[in-house]
Amino acid sequence: MDHFLLWLESTALSIWMRESINVFAFPMILAYHTIGMGFVAGLSSAVDLRILGVARRVPLLELKRFLPATWAAFWLNAASGVLLLIAYPTKALTNPVFYLKLTCIGFAVAILRSIAKSIFQNPNLDLGEIPARGKWLAGASLFCWAGAIFAGRLLAYTYTRLTQ
Amino acid sequence: MTVYEIQHWLLTTLGSVEIVKPIMTSKWGWPICESLHFIGLSLLIGTIGMFDMRLLGIAKRIPISALHRLIPWGIGGYILNIITGSMFLVTAPDQYLYNSAFHLKMLFMAVAGLNVLTFYSAVFRKVNVLGAGADAPLAAKWIGGASLFLWTGVIIFGRLLTFYRPFACGKGGATGFLATCL
Repeated sequence: MDHFLLWLESTALSIWMRESINVFAFPMILAYHTIGMGFVAGLSSAVDLRILGVARRVPLLELKRFLPATWAAFWLNAASGVLLLIAYPTKALTNPVFYLKLTCIGFAVAILRSIAKSIFQNPNLDLGEIPARGKWLAGASLFCWAGAIFAGRLLAYTYTRLTQ
Repeated sequence: MTVYEIQHWLLTTLGSVEIVKPIMTSKWGWPICESLHFIGLSLLIGTIGMFDMRLLGIAKRIPISALHRLIPWGIGGYILNIITGSMFLVTAPDQYLYNSAFHLKMLFMAVAGLNVLTFYSAVFRKVNVLGAGADAPLAAKWIGGASLFLWTGVIIFGRLLTFYRPFACGKGGATGFLATCL
């Protein structure tokens, strides 16, 4: 593990991310990561709120039109997240909070896929009450996104080793 | 008053607010407020950004008045962020008042505020009566696009604050100008 981290930290990309004073290196990649966070967690949460009963006149089926933007934000964050990880691999991978963050994101994304498959494909849902399972999924989604954001933010305060 | 005098006055005035300092200087006070600030950000951009996208023409079968019911949640995120943001500001005013990223963030927030006022005074009544399938008028599209641009700018300059801090921060000693400010 330590050898791998040492090798990764010695790559040109990792050194550039860490040490370049170019604002488009680490700082702007971190900013993209925050924009993506806002859209993926925010749009997904807005759908959750609708499922839980906010803005009832919004047709559920039509909310699927926001899925491409939500997934685009997710992939922006997967890409920017990998670059941030390459910059400081030891900092993240030796911190249990980082794995908690990934777990929260994993659950939130699985729930989003499940909502996209079940709720957005059922034309009868707008006519009647949403099944309890859908409400549980929406509540769990809000909880997981909040957890991912909390854990992600706390990474700056809980790491024990910055680099090898 | 010169800009320097205004900054100095703000520094002493904001710095004299003592009530939140015990919370913010405790071990987890600042990190928890930051987490809440990021949750408020997501709530704002998720609901208001979704509304802006509808104005621009995505998901036209949603009546605009129906989607507007999500806006109070965005305002809730905004209020949460005003509260937590003010807590950062009064705890470490020097880190913000002399920080060019903070100046740009405040500028973008002010213009975003004017954009909201323009929306409600000029186009809200027209778009709120539009039914399912209706296209928003061009003026509303410009306002929606401007809203997405401006709030994204607020996020960018907010996130860049860390890198334009006028004074040292955090655990020092590591290499690179970023290392002490993560």
